Amino acid sequence: MATIRRLVLDVLKPHEPKMVPFTEELSDSEDVTGVTAKLVEIEENVRTIRVTLEGDALDLESIEARITDLGGSVHSVDEVSVGKEIVEDPWLTG
Amino acid sequence: MNLRARLAGVRRVLAKEDVQSLSRRYFVANGFDGTLTSIGVVVGAYLGGVGDGLAVVGIGLGAAIGLGTSGIWSVWEIERAETSREQAEIESAMLTSLENTRLTRDFRNEQIVLALAAASGPVIGVVITLLPFLFEGVFLSMFQAVIASIALSVLLLGSVGAYMGVISKQRWYVAAVRMGLAGIVVAGITVLLPG
Repeated sequence: MATIRRLVLDVLKPHEPKMVPFTEELSDSEDVTGVTAKLVEIEENVRTIRVTLEGDALDLESIEARITDLGGSVHSVDEVSVGKEIVEDPWLTG
Repeated sequence: MNLRARLAGVRRVLAKEDVQSLSRRYFVANGFDGTLTSIGVVVGAYLGGVGDGLAVVGIGLGAAIGLGTSGIWSVWEIERAETSREQAEIESAMLTSLENTRLTRDFRNEQIVLALAAASGPVIGVVITLLPFLFEGVFLSMFQAVIASIALSVLLLGSVGAYMGVISKQRWYVAAVRMGLAGIVVAGITVLLPG
């Protein structure tokens, strides 16, 4: 099984829980070393956010389950980094 | 769900500002009802010739049970309707069911917290007002117990008024007098009622 080191997820979520507790909850796991959540779009009842998670061996299934439990829904997996180290996208880093 | 997770959920909703604000409103509004009802019951019982302090306590506790049940029942139903509507709106925007998620668990915990706030207000108001009647025949006469009960009610209403004045950043003593006055008005009207 691939060792996932970084995941970028496109997530739709209600306004509650707010961004800080939502992100905190996702980081509260042994396999996750850090999480960044970024607001992409905001609507009346929901918001779209991009969630970036890093860790030594991320478990996509359990992360999806936690997001679902928080009321969110993973729309797509936008970026995955696997292997011994994270390889940055040359299009972004130049 | 285990007890620890349930308590954590209750603590989470208690930290929400909107839940704190709504709980305060239900607690104060229903507590106000309970205290004033109790003054009416106490003065009415005395003027009606009830001569036993414990009998007044019994009548008052009946009122407390009625008001407490009314508070818990009505707020439970109101909040259930409101949260169901809110959940349906979010589900419609999410295009997915939110059953068994933290959102619905928080909604349920909010219902519990708000219903308890609505029930505890009148019960506390009535019980405090009735306290002097426990000492009727010990070191208070019936008349003294009625006066002490009214005084306690006015003090209780005034304290709640002062608290509301502080959180609304108004003059606390004006808010205290405004709330406390209601107790005297109810006692006065009950005394003046024919019969």
